[in-house]
Amino acid sequence: MKTILNKLGNNRGFSPVAISLWIAALAGLALFPQFVDNPYALHVMILFFLSTIMGESWNILGGYTGQYSVGHAAYFGVGAYTTMMLMQYRQIPPWLGMWAGVAVVMVVALVIGSICFRLRGPYFVLASIAVAEIMRLCAVNLKDLTNGAEGILATEIPPFKIGATVVTDFLSKVPFYYIGLSFAVLTIVATMLVQHSKLGYYFQAIREDQDAAHALGISLSFHKNVALLLSAGFTSLAGSFYAIYVGFIDPPTVLALDISVQIVLICIIGGIGTIYGPVVGSLVLVPLSEALRSNLIAQGIFKLGLASEESGVGVFLKENLAHAHALIYGILVVVVILFMPDGVLGFARKLFTARNRGNA
Amino acid sequence: MGAILEIKHVSKFFGGLAANSDVSFELAEGMIMGLIGPNGAGKTTLFNCITGYYPPSRGEVIFKGRKMNGLEPNKVCKLGMARTWQKVRPLAKMSVLDNVMVGALCRTNSLKVARDIALEQLKVVRLDRKADFLAGGLPIGERKKLEVARVLATRPQLLLLDEVMGGLNPAESEEIIQLILDIKKHGITQMVIEHDMKAIMRISDRIVVLNSGEKLAEGSPEEIVANQAVVEAYLGSEH
Repeated sequence: MKTILNKLGNNRGFSPVAISLWIAALAGLALFPQFVDNPYALHVMILFFLSTIMGESWNILGGYTGQYSVGHAAYFGVGAYTTMMLMQYRQIPPWLGMWAGVAVVMVVALVIGSICFRLRGPYFVLASIAVAEIMRLCAVNLKDLTNGAEGILATEIPPFKIGATVVTDFLSKVPFYYIGLSFAVLTIVATMLVQHSKLGYYFQAIREDQDAAHALGISLSFHKNVALLLSAGFTSLAGSFYAIYVGFIDPPTVLALDISVQIVLICIIGGIGTIYGPVVGSLVLVPLSEALRSNLIAQGIFKLGLASEESGVGVFLKENLAHAHALIYGILVVVVILFMPDGVLGFARKLFTARNRGNA
Repeated sequence: MGAILEIKHVSKFFGGLAANSDVSFELAEGMIMGLIGPNGAGKTTLFNCITGYYPPSRGEVIFKGRKMNGLEPNKVCKLGMARTWQKVRPLAKMSVLDNVMVGALCRTNSLKVARDIALEQLKVVRLDRKADFLAGGLPIGERKKLEVARVLATRPQLLLLDEVMGGLNPAESEEIIQLILDIKKHGITQMVIEHDMKAIMRISDRIVVLNSGEKLAEGSPEEIVANQAVVEAYLGSEH
């Protein structure tokens, strides 16, 4: 067993410990719904998976290739709209529609890439924002196609059948949990494969110094577009998954600038250009945003006796803390960027190596 | 020996400013050509025109009999012409080995083959002990060597070195000189920009002098030292 693990490890650069951890984590996550049937817990886990998929997708383009797109809502939204429109207007089931979504998004991405990659640095960032905004405005105004600002409601998700057997009817959260889990694992594995390939080396070379990379035989436009296609394709899967899970989409929920920023933050908080950065970012951001939304922090303060619920401060907190969630979220992001420029993962790694050095 | 590189009447204008005007010379296979001239003479601009970084405004760059004008730098590199940068450009957050592997991947799709090539090149420049260090953390002397190892890994036939001795101490410069002479033994043609006159006279088979974007002189090191126009360009006419 140990030699097998060693072999696996050596071939791909993974240690046996990492592989064992992976197996344990996957087993734990796969069994989770068997032991927990609280819908809210499942909901939070699904949001965690969704966030991981979004983060890992962006990471390929932003983290590895260094092209900071702040317009990934375009791919998220176009994927979501394609899947929903095919399902509502053409009765095409979403597990087929989402792949059509990926195809549509890749075409869109190629067009966007061939225009935006002429620009560098901050100009690329601005162009990516502009393109996403154009997409949002299209969705609002092309009423015949997208139902405009009213959005699209999924009236019924057809049950997923293989032959005549119904695998799932999508009535509980459990099927979504497993779909989210598989997509999250898929994007992580894809990122690993990219990192340990020629493509990964070229992406990182472009990130570190475009001109040096260019002179070393790397075609900038080709590799940037490949990174964008991978990134946009996976983001589109996240969008489709979100659309089916929530059952309703409109321009502000899937095409807004918030989504683009959210996607970038997952990576910045976790650690940009690392395989597990987006996972760590999601582990921080999803619970935090849920806690703020459901006023858990105010309740925690009361429980700890830091302020009583009836006092003036208590009432103020109770009424305002939930609304302040964007503010607190923003402050946290600033703190992380100031004190952990390599994200939570990079910070942890630094602490770890510093401690090891101290021991040695 | 035939010419591996022909520069024919190359001019490069930035707005109204001629950074290079009507520069012509040939580079025979296997030799080392020194490219010298005072600051702002257009040496680096000429490198940029040759390697596809800028298209020349006028004239032709012919490499191995093929016209290079308008080819992108990556294609130029694939055809066997590689350059280093005056201001070193390490891929800072990648390891020294990974930096050289990026160069090696120009000729192979296999990471394993690339790793072998990279390790071999690192041995050549004696950086193999630092293979796992981050490139951004190297001192300047080692960054310059890394730069050379990285372009050598692309397996060039023509190597353009832009001030690889700039900022180095005498011992480090001597190492680079030996490296350049070693590279020559492997049959790789080189064009070298350098400010260190002693070094350039030692290594060059032939020297081209640029001044204000124009070719001032061309010849063997002995001829250049004896050339009155060159002495004036460097020291002023009173001497």
